Amino acid sequence: MRAFAPHSAARHGLALCHVCELVSPVRNVRCPRCRSRLHLRGSESLQRTWALTIAALILYFPANLLPILKITSVTGDKQNTILGGVVQFWQQRDYLVAIIIFSASVVIPVLKIIAIVSLSLAARTGRRPFGMTRIYRVTEFIGRWSMTDVFVVAILVAVVQLGSALSIHPGAAAISFAGVVILTMLAATSFDPRLIWDAAGRAESKPND
Amino acid sequence: MLALHEGQKALCPRCTATLQVYQPDSLNRTAAFAAASAILLVVANWFPFLTLRAGYRESQMLLWQSVAGLEDQGYVSLAGAVSLFILLAPTLLIGGLLYLILPLFWNRRLPGAIEICRAVFWARRWNMLEVFLLATLVSLLKLGKLATLTLGISFWAFVALILCLTSALVSIHPRELWDRLEKARE
Repeated sequence: MRAFAPHSAARHGLALCHVCELVSPVRNVRCPRCRSRLHLRGSESLQRTWALTIAALILYFPANLLPILKITSVTGDKQNTILGGVVQFWQQRDYLVAIIIFSASVVIPVLKIIAIVSLSLAARTGRRPFGMTRIYRVTEFIGRWSMTDVFVVAILVAVVQLGSALSIHPGAAAISFAGVVILTMLAATSFDPRLIWDAAGRAESKPND
Repeated sequence: MLALHEGQKALCPRCTATLQVYQPDSLNRTAAFAAASAILLVVANWFPFLTLRAGYRESQMLLWQSVAGLEDQGYVSLAGAVSLFILLAPTLLIGGLLYLILPLFWNRRLPGAIEICRAVFWARRWNMLEVFLLATLVSLLKLGKLATLTLGISFWAFVALILCLTSALVSIHPRELWDRLEKARE
């Protein structure tokens, strides 16, 4: 069994500056090079992560229930929610667009919220540190791709200026959805994966029960 | 600082993540790619990005108009977010890198270098050019049935910009950059 705890810099009172990566004693309070505040671990990492995740979860409902796009044409007004748009593309046999939008707008945000919650739990229990660290890296990388639908709305609104024939307006869900993406990105940033390893070290040093 | 040779990389002894890979000529490469990105950024914003044709009507969209469209519709905060992701963050990244690295060739540091370096690393997270590219392709497929969409020069500059900027970001060696900035003369 590998030991998780023995040689962490934190044990020696050394902190890695989160901005410029200089290692210095944490009693400096501020990084001697770039003047950022030094912390052994992300400051109130778990509290911030929980708060941002819960806020994202709340915004997730209006993001999916309200229309993201309003199309006005001669045949009448049409409003589309994110899921409605996916269904419509699927029925029109545009499978590629349907799959892209479904994964970027529905699957990734949900998976991301689940991932951040399980990471925050792992930071207490210290279970499966390797797997959790991998989940953390994927979560950090993948989050930005959810912004696709918001950009699609921006492009459609800008490019379609055909006056009476057709006009496209953004719906209220666009803002909520951008909020979900930004909040989950901030939540992933404020999570400090070293907490998982600290917990793993603690779990290891305790006698098995 | 750790000296790595070609084909070597440093791993974290605890979680086995890659700490550092062999990055030869980090400063030269970053500067070159950042300079190319700067030119492409201007081209990408200067020429039409998409042209839409439906019947006799034609409308052209410049890159920044995707932000202006949202603002016109009263979605100011959304317009602000989109402009951060596709205009401000890339500009800050490219301008910041050039401002930091070019003087380093003469071992000099311009005023505010430390703050700008912090801003550059912050902007890296919020730069979403590649996501915007995917969104453009989705929009093409979406509107394909209603109208004819043509890609402008700016679109291709945009693709090249993504490649150059990604290469610039990959070749940055943060520790070396910070060390050099610290030792450079004001």
